[in-house]
Amino acid sequence: MSSESKDASTEEAPTNAEHKRSPADFLKAVLGRPVNVRLNTGTDYKGVLACLDGYMNIAMEQTEEYVDGQLKSKYGDCFIRGNNVLYISSQKR
Amino acid sequence: MSNRILPLELIDKAIGSPIWILMRGQTEITGILRGFDDYVNLVLDDAVEYSLDPRDKNQVLKKELKAEILLNGNHVAVLVPGSKGPEDSLASKS
Repeated sequence: MSSESKDASTEEAPTNAEHKRSPADFLKAVLGRPVNVRLNTGTDYKGVLACLDGYMNIAMEQTEEYVDGQLKSKYGDCFIRGNNVLYISSQKR
Repeated sequence: MSNRILPLELIDKAIGSPIWILMRGQTEITGILRGFDDYVNLVLDDAVEYSLDPRDKNQVLKKELKAEILLNGNHVAVLVPGSKGPEDSLASKS
């Protein structure tokens, strides 16, 4: 990407600029923090987000698995394949 | 000058305001739209999730997430900018 096109994109959105928070920004902010990951099946995984990639593949630590809101098991380390992920939710500060 | 608006421009105009998202399947989500990308992955603030109760399929569970979420664009079907959700819809008023 040329620096010219980058300048153009920052110029074009001054109206919403102060509010804007892209998915990439969110992922940067949430790395290493406690998160709740909801799968399509409705299962929740709560734990510390260790790392993730563009497919939303996720590595978590200190993970607790909740099925229908009930704690089912705990994992020290776990990997979630990205296609199953419905959303990633952070706890604010 | 063209007065045509691209679909994603419409969503861009909705940044900072409430949005109602219908997912594939039975889930619906509302929240304040903070941002999105080309895959329509969405960042939402104060998100509320409406889903069917796994124990009683006639009941709708309303779950306030009270946090910022990143919603996977894969499962997004319909976006309704400016709407606060099912309770705010025209159908529920009529």
